[in-house]
Amino acid sequence: MKRLSCFLVLVVCFLIVFPCSGSAARSGFDDEEIRIGQFGPQTGPAAPWGAVARGAGLLFDLVNEEGGIHGRKIKYYLRDDQYSPSVAQAGVRELVERHGIFAFTGGVSGAGGHAVKGYLAGNEVLWVVPGTAALNTVADNQTPPSPYRFCSYPLFEDEASVVTKYAVEKLGFKKIGFLYQNDVFGKGGLTGCKQRLASYDMTLVEEVPVEPTEKDLASQMLRLKNSGAECALMWVSPTLSVITLKTCESIGYKPQWIAFDGLSDYPMMHQITGGLFEGVITAAFVPPPDSGDPLVSKYREAAKRLAPEERWGTFYLAGILFAEPLVEALRRVGPDLSTEACIRELNSFKDWKGLGAPITWSADNHQGTDSVQIQKCGPGGSYILLQDWTANDLATWKTKK
Amino acid sequence: MDMKRDYYEDIEVFSSGTVLFWSFALFAFLFTLPLYLPSYNIYLFNIILVHVILAVGLNILVGYTGQISLGHAGFFAIGAYGTVLLMTHLGVPFFAAIIAAGLIAAFFGFIIGLPALRLEGPYLAIATLGFGLTIMHIIGRWDIFGGRMGIQAPPLDIGIPQWGLSVLLDSDVKMYYLIVVIAIIMVIGARNMMKTRIGRAFVAIRDDDIAAEVMGVNLLAFKTLSFAVSAFYAGVAGGLFGFVLGFFDPFTFNLILSIIFLVMVVVGGLGSVLGAVMGAALITYLQYDLLKNVDEMPYLGDVLVWVSRKLFTVIGLENFNSIMLGLIMLGIVIFEPLGMFGIWIRIKKYWKTWPF
Repeated sequence: MKRLSCFLVLVVCFLIVFPCSGSAARSGFDDEEIRIGQFGPQTGPAAPWGAVARGAGLLFDLVNEEGGIHGRKIKYYLRDDQYSPSVAQAGVRELVERHGIFAFTGGVSGAGGHAVKGYLAGNEVLWVVPGTAALNTVADNQTPPSPYRFCSYPLFEDEASVVTKYAVEKLGFKKIGFLYQNDVFGKGGLTGCKQRLASYDMTLVEEVPVEPTEKDLASQMLRLKNSGAECALMWVSPTLSVITLKTCESIGYKPQWIAFDGLSDYPMMHQITGGLFEGVITAAFVPPPDSGDPLVSKYREAAKRLAPEERWGTFYLAGILFAEPLVEALRRVGPDLSTEACIRELNSFKDWKGLGAPITWSADNHQGTDSVQIQKCGPGGSYILLQDWTANDLATWKTKK
Repeated sequence: MDMKRDYYEDIEVFSSGTVLFWSFALFAFLFTLPLYLPSYNIYLFNIILVHVILAVGLNILVGYTGQISLGHAGFFAIGAYGTVLLMTHLGVPFFAAIIAAGLIAAFFGFIIGLPALRLEGPYLAIATLGFGLTIMHIIGRWDIFGGRMGIQAPPLDIGIPQWGLSVLLDSDVKMYYLIVVIAIIMVIGARNMMKTRIGRAFVAIRDDDIAAEVMGVNLLAFKTLSFAVSAFYAGVAGGLFGFVLGFFDPFTFNLILSIIFLVMVVVGGLGSVLGAVMGAALITYLQYDLLKNVDEMPYLGDVLVWVSRKLFTVIGLENFNSIMLGLIMLGIVIFEPLGMFGIWIRIKKYWKTWPF
């Protein structure tokens, strides 16, 4: 009897804690608020990227503090997807159907993004800007692109092409090698690098694939070392980059490493590589967090005030960057808000400049930019800006019809 | 009360008129569910039903045969990838594809069952764990499986489109009816199997495999059969899961998923079909919906988020989610060793003897 009572108490607790079956889907806004959602890993293997989703929350808090947009406050919903596509989909559906969401922003999980992109488009929910290059509209091979998804994360091909140009023209390297993760992400970088080198009648001295789960890279590093590569591009995950740098340290190989933007959180990379990351150059789609840029400074001060417990870093800043164009479009639309009006304004973005590279969108092009900055990790994980926003003049997607 | 008077009573799937009545009431409830539930909940129900199929299958292996598996996500993946690839690459109709994918999973289950003849407990757990991880990595390395970027499931057509007989299930509700029918068939199938010679052989192996062999139970046949049947259930569940999700990658079928499947069976109650159903439903619900919306509740949400950020980490309420999920699982295992099935038995007895 006692146990039964305990069980019944538990049941009552569940009923309190669990949400009741929600009402039918609502419109994404009303006179008081605009509802914006995001899914992303707050727990699980990709939890460090969770700062992206929380960064967007800072921007919305700031907007609300300044009075909202045309009298409406932004109501922000964040759902932890645990980096699982099924949980991401459950979270997105719950938000759209229980709360009514006007637009999504960010979302750093590639698989989760692919799992929900059809659902969001089918429900005419905007997605500005997905937090992963995997969700770019170029890869959809669809003309015109999906009207509801607006992207600005640079393609891996474009990044690699720009940094290769820098390595050849600014640093004067003749022997370049390429270490890449054996998947679409790594191969994308390899394509961009080879395309750029071909424009100089050059070829890679060595291209070395690695599997994402490999833990011993000694043979791969020896191949790179024996090729005589004085500069090596690295299109691998943070874990593999740590193994790479530590292996190279042990075999006495010290090329100029150049990496993709995912390794541009220098304080973190500096710490997890035990200082070996110092001197590594990376592409970056986010300006240095310690930059004196007025916009960066404004957000940095806001973070100190509104989210003092957060680490002010690249991922957090990226969340703001992904959400900025949506806020700008909402401001441009005016009080008569609608999804169509918002799409119209987003399609009229021409070299619009927020935190990141200038963005241009049109009805036929929803890949907003091909530009990246080039940064270098300085002492103690500090940021050194080497080159401001640079477009990929060889980008093939811009000429495709 | 539940005393069996002859053999035929013992093997009846519906043991009494009352059970038959409530079973049909449950079916009626399940078939009318979409009328009063919003679409999001139907999606959640689809996931729950897929997990029910898998958990019932896993329970045949773990609960009834006494073997362990930490590799069921591998069979689940074989089902998902197998069904989608058979349909997209070979144009196989859905039902043939999902059965074939289930049989492929069953074949791998049979192969994994062979070492089970010599391995027990933690050793078998490691062998099956290795299988699950291997499947995930093999899928990730082959382009035909979409590599690490994953694959998109085609629109779910349960007809034979090549012959012009197209039956497209293009909504969660339509998919729900397909899944609920398959789930009911497979749950009844499992319950029925446990009442046959095969089921009794499984139980005999669980209780004492040497004694079972002495009695004439062929260990090689029945242990591998148990793995194969369990893998078949996982394969069919995976085939359905692929379409519920629409897109999946190898990481979807990771080790954590295998552990969660095992948790479903243990929390539900080992050696009980009903327990597996309840465990799958509870754990899926906890994983997908626990504490949802609490941070949007006035006052309470703000307080909890504040406490979570101050005491734990900056991620906010998700800290509580993980803790709550863990505590609920721990609570059930510690206070109710028979799992949810044990709770159910006690409630049933309480009401049968009420008010005494």
